[in-house]
Amino acid sequence: MDQYRRIQTGKKGDILMVLFKDKKILDDTVLDEIRAELTQFIGKASGPDMLLDFSGVEFMSSAMLGLLGQLHRKISAGKGRLRMCGIRPEIFQVFKLTNLDKLFSIHKDAPAALATFT
Amino acid sequence: MAQGSDSGATPGGVDVLIAEDSRMQARILQRALTEAGHAVRWAENGAAALALARERRPDIIVSDIEMPEMTGYEFCKAVKTDASLRTVPFILLSTLSDPIDIIRGLDAGADNYVTKPYEPAYLLGRMQSLLATPLGVDDADAGMLEVTLAGQTFRVRAGRQQVLNLLVSTFENAVAKNQELVVANQELSVARDSLQRSNEELSTLNAEISRINAHMVRDLEAAAKVQRSLLPANDVSIPSLELAWKYVPCQGLAGDFLNVFRLDDEHAGLFVVDVSGHGVPSSLMAVTVGRFLTPKVSDSSLLVRQTADGRLMVAPPAEVATQLNHLFQADEFSGLYFTMLYGVLHLPSGRLDYVSGGHPALLRVPAGGGALEFHGAEGFPIAFVPDVEYQQVTLQLQPGDRIYLYSDGVPEAMNKDQEPYGEQAMADCVAAGRSQPLDTSVSGLLAAVEQWCVPVGPLDDVTILGVAWRP
Repeated sequence: MDQYRRIQTGKKGDILMVLFKDKKILDDTVLDEIRAELTQFIGKASGPDMLLDFSGVEFMSSAMLGLLGQLHRKISAGKGRLRMCGIRPEIFQVFKLTNLDKLFSIHKDAPAALATFT
Repeated sequence: MAQGSDSGATPGGVDVLIAEDSRMQARILQRALTEAGHAVRWAENGAAALALARERRPDIIVSDIEMPEMTGYEFCKAVKTDASLRTVPFILLSTLSDPIDIIRGLDAGADNYVTKPYEPAYLLGRMQSLLATPLGVDDADAGMLEVTLAGQTFRVRAGRQQVLNLLVSTFENAVAKNQELVVANQELSVARDSLQRSNEELSTLNAEISRINAHMVRDLEAAAKVQRSLLPANDVSIPSLELAWKYVPCQGLAGDFLNVFRLDDEHAGLFVVDVSGHGVPSSLMAVTVGRFLTPKVSDSSLLVRQTADGRLMVAPPAEVATQLNHLFQADEFSGLYFTMLYGVLHLPSGRLDYVSGGHPALLRVPAGGGALEFHGAEGFPIAFVPDVEYQQVTLQLQPGDRIYLYSDGVPEAMNKDQEPYGEQAMADCVAAGRSQPLDTSVSGLLAAVEQWCVPVGPLDDVTILGVAWRP
C-alpha cells in the first residue's frame, strides 16, 4: 500500500527511506510532484535522517539537483542527515561536474549508506 | 450458472428453456425469468437445447439465432417437426437486420420474434401472450405459403396461427423500435441544443485563450529580447583577442548566457552561465544574474567599481563568485541555481584568473600543437550552498592559445540511444579543427553536437565561447 506516485517510502528505525520510482526525472511536472511528495513524507518530522535511493533512475535533469539542494538544506537545518545511494555512473557524472559530489553524502548502495547513520 | 441448471418454478411460473451462446446474455435473461417466478434451463447451442427439451418438455423456448453447433433456425425446425414438442411456443431472439430473417423464422416454424436488444419485461410480456393462446395440436391450416419479399418469392410451410403470431410480433417489434426511436430522437435534440450551447461557450473560451496567448507570446518575445541583450555585442572587439561564440537555446527562453567584454585597458572579462531548468523562471534568473555581471560601472556591477580617485578596479573572479552566491541566497532555497565559469584575462601577459561555480572545465588548445587540456576549478554551483568562499585558479596562456568555454549542453548532449556526447568527443572535435579559423572551429563543434542529437536535436541550451589570445 503505497500512497505516493513518484516515490516509494519506508522507514528503518527513525530513518526515512525513499526510492524514486521514475526512470527519468526530467519534466518540471514530475519534479514538482516529487517535491510535494517528499514534503508530505517528511511531514512534521524535524530534521530527520533520510536516505534517497536512485537505483531506478536512469536520467535526471539539473533541476533535480536543485531539489536535492533544497532537501539538503531543510534536513541539515534540523540537524538531520541526508544520504544518497544507488546513483549510476552517468548520473554521478552530473554530481561530479557540478562539484556536488563533495556536498552530498553519496554511497554505493542502501546497506552501505545505512551503515553511516550509526 | 451451469448449463441445464434448473431454477424451480413457483406457482404461476412455467418451465422455460433458453438457448443462448452468450453466457452473459443467458445470465441476464435467466435472472429476469427467475425473478418472474419461472423455472429456467439453459443450453449454449441448439443441439444441447434440443437434448434438454427432449429430456423434459418445456412450456416455452427462447432461442438466440447465431449459435455454434446448431443455429436457432435449425433448433426451431427440429422442435417444430418433433411430434412431442411441436406445440411448444418458440420465441426467436433476432437482431432483425435483414427482412429475410422473417422468412427464415416462418419457415423454421417460429411463433414469435423478439428483437435484440430487448427489455426483459418486454420478453416476459411476449411469453405471457403466447402462453395464453395455446397452439392447436394439429394446425390444420398448415400448408405451403408463397411469400414475396424484396423481389424474391419464397415457399414456406406455415400454419395460419403461426403466421398471425409472427406478423403481430413483427409489428409489435416495429412499434417498440419506433417508440425507442422517438425517445432517442428527443434525447438527440436535447443533446444537440446542449452541444450548441457548449460550442458557443467553447468559442468564447477559445477567443479568451487566444487573447491570453497573444499576450504571453508578446511577453515572451520581450523577455527573449532582454535575454539577447545578455549576449556579446555584435561588434565586440578586444585588442589581442579573437572571439567566436555560438548560443542555441533549446526553447524560446534559455537558462544559458555568455558574454565577453573589456573591463579596463588591460583586462577582458568572459563568462558562461547556465541557470538550472528552462523556461520563464530560469530565464528571469538569468536576466537578474546578468545585471550583476556587467562591465559597466553601476551600483549593481560586481565586476568593476570606481575607486574614490576615479580609477577603475577590476574585481578578482573569486570575489565575484562569492558575492554572487551571497546575493542569491534566499531565506528558503527555491531550487533554482546556476553554474558559472568566469575569467579575467590580463591582455598584455595572457594570465587568466578564473573561478568555477560548479561549471564544466574550460578546454585549452595549446598553440604549439600539444595535447588539449581541460582546466577546471572546484566550487559549488552558485546559490546552492550558503556562505561559501570561492577560490580562483590561474592559467597562463601562450601566444596563439585558444580556450573554449561551454555549457554542459555540449558534453551532456544525448543521442537517440541516450548516450552523452562526452568530453572526449568534444576535445577530439576541437583538436580536429585547431588549424581552422576560430569561428569555423566553434561552428564545427556546434554542428557536431547537433549531428550527435539527430533527429530530435539538443534538449538543453548549447553555448560555446571560443577565445584566441594573439598579443
